[in-house]
Amino acid sequence: MASQLSFAGFARKNLWRRRLRTLLTLIGIGMAIGAFVALVGFSRSFEHEWLRLYSSSGTDIAVVEKTFLNTSVSESIGDKLRAVPVVAQAEPMIFNLMDLTPDVNALVFGWKADSYEFDSLTFLSGHRFQDGQPQVILGDMLAGNLNKKVGDTINMQGAAFTVTGIYHGGTALEAGAVIMPLDQLQQLSSLQGKVSGFHVRLRTAPEGEPQDHYLKRAQTEIEAALPGLNAQLASERASSNQFVQLAHAVAWGTSCIALLMGILGIANTMAMSVFERTREIGILRALGWQAWRVMLLIQTEAAVLGLAGGVLGIAVGWGALRMLATLPQTASIVSASVDPLHLLQALGISVLSGLAAGAIPAWHAAHLSPVEALHHE
Amino acid sequence: MNKTACPILEVRQLCKSYDEGRIEALRGVDLSISAGEYVAISGPSGSGKSTLLQLMGGLDTPTSGQVLFQGAALAASGLDNYRAHQVGFIFQAFYLLPTLRAIENVQVPMLAVDRRGNNRAKRAEDLLVEMGLEHRLNQYPNELSAGERQRVAIARALANNPSMLLADEPTGNLDSVNSARIMEMLIGIQQKHGMTLIVITHENEIADAAPRHIRIRDGLIEGHSPTRLES
Repeated sequence: MASQLSFAGFARKNLWRRRLRTLLTLIGIGMAIGAFVALVGFSRSFEHEWLRLYSSSGTDIAVVEKTFLNTSVSESIGDKLRAVPVVAQAEPMIFNLMDLTPDVNALVFGWKADSYEFDSLTFLSGHRFQDGQPQVILGDMLAGNLNKKVGDTINMQGAAFTVTGIYHGGTALEAGAVIMPLDQLQQLSSLQGKVSGFHVRLRTAPEGEPQDHYLKRAQTEIEAALPGLNAQLASERASSNQFVQLAHAVAWGTSCIALLMGILGIANTMAMSVFERTREIGILRALGWQAWRVMLLIQTEAAVLGLAGGVLGIAVGWGALRMLATLPQTASIVSASVDPLHLLQALGISVLSGLAAGAIPAWHAAHLSPVEALHHE
Repeated sequence: MNKTACPILEVRQLCKSYDEGRIEALRGVDLSISAGEYVAISGPSGSGKSTLLQLMGGLDTPTSGQVLFQGAALAASGLDNYRAHQVGFIFQAFYLLPTLRAIENVQVPMLAVDRRGNNRAKRAEDLLVEMGLEHRLNQYPNELSAGERQRVAIARALANNPSMLLADEPTGNLDSVNSARIMEMLIGIQQKHGMTLIVITHENEIADAAPRHIRIRDGLIEGHSPTRLES
């Protein structure tokens, strides 16, 4: 059977002729995309877990400071907050990140013993702590990692705390967290009289008022009652808390640097390829190939490199995320699930990186004089 | 189809200089070639014969003067299209693409004119069979002899059914047996398809055998055989 030459097949053959160089380029862009998938996936997973944390506890609004860095709010505003007509419940809370052992750190939440936020937890053993007592409850994943059970003690910042309960939470953040009396965490964090913020459950929206409108109105009423504070919807709070914002910034910054390196790798490969194939490009031009078609060929090769690198990178990044989800140090803040949209985004970035990297070599190839190219040695 | 009679290609006062005018490859050449004609152009090295072929084939643009195809001057913007549809090039060094099989090399010009995939493969196979290469369809260029490579190159030149074949020293890398065979093939194609054939050569035997032989020296036409005046 006669062998049929397609445009894509021609591009593939051109890449395949320098297998080692193509492979090294693929590894370069693959690592860059892998870093993107893993790091941005990590930060998004982190954000997603925060959102689930709010929704599982039934929190509608978080009341926090307007500033990014100073997040402590006076605990005494609780009464004013509860007096706002739309507010059903308002719970003070603190969250922090602490080292429990040299290898394991965890999110530590400070709640009141009667907080509604316990509603989302299922106790596997033991019971809640009591306010004013050096007690904690542990998420089941953390308890497993620390090998702790009810009645054991754990040391935090030099103080001993008795484990009164092991619970299962709906999110990886809860499963890997420590929850302790608010007053105890205030002492540990030197935040007496201060809290990170208040979590608010709203009353049911009046009949006929759309939920979105009701939430906006509630925000406005709370902010009017508590000037200087910010009433954020739970969904906004998930993406705007300091941990998540820092995670996003680090993930995108690192990924951009890695992508830049990957793009330079493809650009180098394509530039070398065009230089080595100068005469062949002259032949194509002599045979009637239009400049745009030569450009398309080079760009197709660059895009294929980007696409293949993207597929490789997704595999690497996904593998890295799965590994992070099982490590004690990170299991509490990352889940192994990856948003398909994130993978599509990675593929898109990968192909666009290839096209960007191939643009100058392609333009150069397309504008070679056929006569000069044919005489190139 | 009889393409003889009217001029298919004319050059008028064609000049080409390089290196900011310090090197004058062509210095005002006038020439008219009829459709279906077989013309040999000879001359010593550096005489400008290859430059003339490149300009007639739309590979380059003149410094001054004109190349007219079927009465219309070639425009720089239309040269790709002209090369793709009207011209088939054959080079001394064959210029086959090393990563492609013989049958794939023949399909390369067809990619420039968007011929459908199945048609491309069939057309390439037919041409290679016509060149006597039916048993070498799937060989790579480095697996072919010099004569076979040139026959693949001829098949490639015919791929888009051009009006003219322009051959630059087509036998320059071949032994005498293969040279004779290649010239026999080119002339056979020219006669069978009524195609215009322009051959650049430094071999007197080939030049003298052509019905029309143009001698070029120092960028100017030195003489014609048989003698004729260009208007």
